[in-house]
Amino acid sequence: MKKKQTYHRAQPTWCPGCGLYGVFDALKRAAANMDLVPENMVMVTGIGCHGRMNNYFNAYGFHGLHGRTLPVAIGIKLVNPKLQVVGVSGDGDAYSIGLGHFIHTLRKNVGITYIVVNNRLYSLTQGQMSPTTMFGMVTISTPFGSKDFPVEGPVLALAARGTFVARGFSAEVDHLAALIEKGMKHKGFALIDVLSPCVTYNKLNTYEWYKKNILLIEKEPGYNPRDKNRAREILGRTDGIAVGLIYEEEKPSWEELILPEKDKPIAFENLSVRRQELQKIMENFR
Amino acid sequence: MKLAASAIARGGRPGQGSRMIRDLSVMIAGIAGDGVLFTGNVLARMLKRHGWEIVTSRDFPSNIRGEPTRYTVRASLNENYALSDLVNILLAFDCDAVLDNLPLMAANGIVFCDGEAVVEPPADQARGKTFHKFPLRAMAREKFGNEIFKNMIALGALNFLLDLEIDLLEEIISEMFLKRKGVEVVKKNIQAVAYGYDKAREITLERERHPLARKEDADRLLLSGDEAIAFGALAAGCRFFAAYPICPASEISQWLVHYLPQFNGIVIQAEDELAALNMALGAAYAGARAMTATSGPGASLMMEAFSLAGMAEIPVVIAHVQRLGPATGIPTKTQQGDILQWVFGSHGEFPRIVLAPGTLGECFGLTAQAFNLAEKYQCPVVLLTELDMGQDYRTTSRFDLGRVLIDRGKLLTQEELLAVRSFKRYELSFDGISPRGLPSFKKGLHLVESLEHDENGYRAEDDANRIRMMEKRMKKLRNASSDLPCAKAWGPKKAGVGLITIGSTLGTVLEAAAQLREKDIQANSLQLRTLWPFPVRDVKKFLDGCDLAFVVENNYSGELATLIRSQVSSIPEMKSILRYGTRSFRPREVVEHVERAVR
Repeated sequence: MKKKQTYHRAQPTWCPGCGLYGVFDALKRAAANMDLVPENMVMVTGIGCHGRMNNYFNAYGFHGLHGRTLPVAIGIKLVNPKLQVVGVSGDGDAYSIGLGHFIHTLRKNVGITYIVVNNRLYSLTQGQMSPTTMFGMVTISTPFGSKDFPVEGPVLALAARGTFVARGFSAEVDHLAALIEKGMKHKGFALIDVLSPCVTYNKLNTYEWYKKNILLIEKEPGYNPRDKNRAREILGRTDGIAVGLIYEEEKPSWEELILPEKDKPIAFENLSVRRQELQKIMENFR
Repeated sequence: MKLAASAIARGGRPGQGSRMIRDLSVMIAGIAGDGVLFTGNVLARMLKRHGWEIVTSRDFPSNIRGEPTRYTVRASLNENYALSDLVNILLAFDCDAVLDNLPLMAANGIVFCDGEAVVEPPADQARGKTFHKFPLRAMAREKFGNEIFKNMIALGALNFLLDLEIDLLEEIISEMFLKRKGVEVVKKNIQAVAYGYDKAREITLERERHPLARKEDADRLLLSGDEAIAFGALAAGCRFFAAYPICPASEISQWLVHYLPQFNGIVIQAEDELAALNMALGAAYAGARAMTATSGPGASLMMEAFSLAGMAEIPVVIAHVQRLGPATGIPTKTQQGDILQWVFGSHGEFPRIVLAPGTLGECFGLTAQAFNLAEKYQCPVVLLTELDMGQDYRTTSRFDLGRVLIDRGKLLTQEELLAVRSFKRYELSFDGISPRGLPSFKKGLHLVESLEHDENGYRAEDDANRIRMMEKRMKKLRNASSDLPCAKAWGPKKAGVGLITIGSTLGTVLEAAAQLREKDIQANSLQLRTLWPFPVRDVKKFLDGCDLAFVVENNYSGELATLIRSQVSSIPEMKSILRYGTRSFRPREVVEHVERAVR
C-alpha cells in the first residue's frame, strides 16, 4: 500500500488553520488507502481557495475556470474511464456559478468523486456572500446582512437523483478520508460536501460552532443510507447538520450506459482514416 | 411497381429539341407545416439523380407551424454555388405564397396554386406568366382520403413539368418509405405521384413544360454544409462531440450521433454551451480529438472556455454556423455577423485559428484539416460558416478520403515520453509548441492551468515568467501561414473590379462576377478561407491587382472589411456591399451595386 506522502507534492500556503488542510490530508489518506497510482488520478479544480489544491496534490491536474469543474471532469472520464477522476470545488464554484453543471452531472451519474469544500463564503476574493452563507450574515458584500436563504448541496443532490450523497467535516480527517474513499469506490457520481471553516473571514461558522451543531449520522440508531426517506428526513432536521454518509444507491454509471466499447478508452483510439467504412457512409449522400 | 410509365412512353427524350433548358429554378412555397421542406428535399434529390447540379435554399420561420416558408431548388448543367435571380416554376400551397413570391418570377414563369380564395395578382407582375389553379389538398382528400398526399401530387405535377423520369421518383419514394412504412404506403404514394403527373398534363400546354437537358448522374453527392462538416470530423478522427442544440448547427451533432459510436466515439448533449466546450476541452486534454458546434448566443457562452483553450493550449475544434443576430435574432435566417467575435473575441490574448469554408468540399476538407491544425499548434480552431451553407442542400463531387491525413503534432506516446529527459508540458521550445502527454502516462505528471503558469503548468505570477509564457504561446502561429488554407482567387488575374468575400456568399459573388463580365465590366473575386492568422499577403496581392475592390458580406457593419483594414496597410479604394436582411444576396443585387459605383 502507498503512503500518503506519495500524493504530497508541495506544502500548502493556505491561511493557518484553514479547513482545506484537513481536506488535503483526507484526500491523500483516501488515495493511499485505495493504493492509487498518482498517474492514474486526475484532479480537476475550479476557482477559489480550494483551487490551489492542484499545486499541492501529486497527480495529473486540470485547474479550469470558475464553476466549470464538472464538465471538464466529464470529458476526461468519458474518454478514459480507467482514470480516477476527482473534482474539487468550493461552494461558490459548485452551488452558484456552476450549479447547472452540478445538477446535470448528478442526473447523469458520471463516475466522478466531487468534493465541495464549503466554507460558506467567497474567501479568495475577501469574503463576499456565497450561496451557502447563512441568512442574515454580515459580509463585505452584505453589510446589512444576507437576505438570501442558503442552499444545501446534499439536499439538491438528493433531489437530482444523486446516487452517493455524503457530508464531512474538515476537522474530522479520518472520518472525511473514509467518506472520500467510499466515494471513490462508488460506481457513478459521489458528492462529498465538506464543512470547512474559513478562519480568516468567517467568524460565525467556526470549528467550535460546527462541533456544537454537527449531528453525526453514524450515531443515529438504525440509520440506513439506502433509505431515501430517512435521508430526506435527516437533511431536514433543525437540531443539527447531518454529517456522514447520507444516501447511497446502486445504479449504472453514465459511462457504462453510453460508451460504445467499455474496455477501449477513446483516448487511446488508433486514429487511422478508416477509408472503406467512410466510403460506405459517403454513399448515403448519393 | 412502375405505375406510371407515361413519362417515358411519351417520348421527349433527353437532348432533343431546341427547348432544352440548361438552368432552372423551382420554388415550393406555403406555410410551415405544409410539407414544403419534405417536397423540396425530394425534388432536389430527384433532380440530382437526373445528373443536374443542385443548389437549394430553404427559407423558414423560426417556429414549427403557421408562417410562410419556401424552398427553392436551382438545377443546372454546370456547377453553381448560388441561387439564380429568378424562379421559373412556382408551386404554391396557398394564394399568399403566390403574391409574396411573384416578384421573384421569371417573365414566362409558370405558377401552380392550391388557392381556395380567388386572388388577383397585380397586372404588372402577372404579365407573361401562366397561372394554374391546382387544388392539391382537395385532390388528395378526394382521391386518397388524406391531405397528406398533397406533397406527392405536387411532386407528380413537377415531374411532368420538368419531364423527369418517374422511375427515379419511385425509387426515391421506396428508399424513403419502404423500410419504415411498408409496401402499401409506397404504393399509395406512387399512385399519388402518378395522379399529380396526369393532372398536370391535363391542364397545361406543351409549351409550358421545362424539359432540362440531360446528363449522367455523375459521381456527385447531395448534402448540406453541416453534414459535410460532420463527415469531415468523423473522417479526421473526431471521437468526442459535445454540443447544446441550437439552430442551425444542430444538424452536425444529429448526423454524428448516428455514426460516431461505430467508430468508438460519442456525442453528448450538454446542459448548455458552457458545458459543451468545457467537456470537449476535458476530452481533448485526456487524448481524444474533440469538437463542439454552435451558433448565435451559444457562441457567446463559449467565449469563456475559448480563452481557456488558448491559455491551457488544448486542441479543440469549434464549428460556428452563423445565424441572424444580435441576441436571439431570427434563428432560421442567415447572416455573417460573428466574424470579429471569433477573430478578436474573449478575454485576454491567445492564439487561435479561424477558418471559413465556402463550398461543401471545403466544409469537409477544412474540418479534417482543422483537427490537425488544432493538434499541431495546440490551440482552438474555429470553423465559421453560416446558415445558408450549413442547412441548404447542394451537389458536390465526392470527397477525396485519400487526402485526409491525421497529424497529431507534438502529442507523445508513453514510450516517447519516457525517452524525454525531463518532460515539461509547457516547455519553452524554439517554436513555442511544447510536447504533450496524456493523463495515465508515467513520468508525465503535470498541471493544466487556466492561471498563468510555468513550464510544468504550475501557477507563476512573476513578471519575467509571464512575459516568457505569453511570447511562447503567441509565437506558435508566427510561421503557421504555410499550413493554412490560402485565400482563393477566382476569375482573371487582373480586373477592374475585385469582389472579396467569405463563406457561402462566394456562390453569389462568382455568379455576380460572371454577370459583370457579360456587361463588359472585368471582375474577379477573392475568397478568404483563413480569417486568422490573417492572410495579409494574399489579400494585399489581390487588392493591388484591381482598381476598385468591394467586400461582399451579410452584415451591417462590414466586419470582413474592418478586419482587412486592420491588417492590410495602405489599401487602395475598397467599398462594402452589405446585406443584413433575412436572406443572403442575389447575384443581381451585387451587380447593381457595382454598376452604380463604376458607371
